[in-house]
Amino acid sequence: MISERCAACKNQRRKCPSDCIFSPCFPANDPQKFACVHKIYGGSNVGKMLQGIPTYLREQAANALYLEAKWRIHDPVYGCVGIISSLYEQIQNAEIELAKIQTQITFYKLQTQRIEAEPNSEVLQAQSSNMEQFEWDNPTIASWFN
Amino acid sequence: MSMNTSCSGSPSGGGGGGSSSGGGGSSGGGGPCGACKFLRRKCVPGCIFAPYFDSEQGATHFAAVHKVFGASNVSKLLMNIPVHKRLDAVVTICYEAQARLRDPVYGCVAHIFALQQQIVNLQAELSYLQGYLATLELPHPPQPPPIPPQPTLAPPTLSISDLPPPHPTPASTATVPITYDLSSLFEPMAQTSWAMHNRPIDAPRQFLSSDTSSLQSSGDGGGGGDLQTLAHELLRRHRVDPTAPVACSSAPSSSQSHSK
Repeated sequence: MISERCAACKNQRRKCPSDCIFSPCFPANDPQKFACVHKIYGGSNVGKMLQGIPTYLREQAANALYLEAKWRIHDPVYGCVGIISSLYEQIQNAEIELAKIQTQITFYKLQTQRIEAEPNSEVLQAQSSNMEQFEWDNPTIASWFN
Repeated sequence: MSMNTSCSGSPSGGGGGGSSSGGGGSSGGGGPCGACKFLRRKCVPGCIFAPYFDSEQGATHFAAVHKVFGASNVSKLLMNIPVHKRLDAVVTICYEAQARLRDPVYGCVAHIFALQQQIVNLQAELSYLQGYLATLELPHPPQPPPIPPQPTLAPPTLSISDLPPPHPTPASTATVPITYDLSSLFEPMAQTSWAMHNRPIDAPRQFLSSDTSSLQSSGDGGGGGDLQTLAHELLRRHRVDPTAPVACSSAPSSSQSHSK
């Protein structure tokens, strides 16, 4: 029975030994994985990195290397840092949205409390129907509700 | 910030570092650049690393880059990048290299996972509060809301059979289970369509354990302080205008022209 070479050994055009460090991480059915990693890190560097990792974590490490290599190929300047940057931006946007909604919730709760406290106050009801009536110290926040 | 010193695209005094001074650091009286110093080779005029690795701390940073990527691979990468973008590229490469050395298994992918999880949590909280806000806008007062639930998703499924988790420190016997479903990240372009596009939460991912917070917090201080400083610097530059020439790129450009 002829054992198939792993993707790394196929790429390097060499014989794949039975204890090849790459074979569990770079199976023959996914040649692109090793090609990406090889392009960015180089085969020997990958081998050295994998050797320093416990066997049961090597596949995870290889996958992580593949991801980073793929992102670096896709964006040669920023690589995965571009991904991190966009994630930080999304977090920031989400936090802003969250703050807006929490402010709106607080407003409605206050409105409800006022109505319950003085149910006969027509003035209060008229005033509280429009959030823009509130005086905002920060005009930027006020513009959120326009 | 050490990165500024070592990867100094900004003009420095013409003395020892000379990474981006008139001589480009590779010729004149500046001595070899950090890369050539590390590689123990002659720093030729026009050395591609000279503008970015000064002879002081640049050698330390280049050591990490060399260990992870290799000098020739980095050189090839930089050759394919416009000159005005090379500083950013070097900074990001240094960041990845240092992240990989700190976490040999996941590198900076661990950070990405932590941020991804944070976005999922925020999105869940946002959805919940939007629903609650909708009830508040109804005519009759709603019931007081229960305590906002923690974003609970379906139990995570393991894409890789139970592996003991990695550890942020160099590989050792891990004590806190952390597993990552890396298969969910194999679509690089999908990363930009999270959270704010109101996508339904995807198939369950691996949850980072409480060690995530320590990973994040440790990234802010302790041993990750330098890395975090570098990350913040990168983000600051990236946010300014990723397409515009880097402010200090004129120095390496001029140094390149001088060296040429």
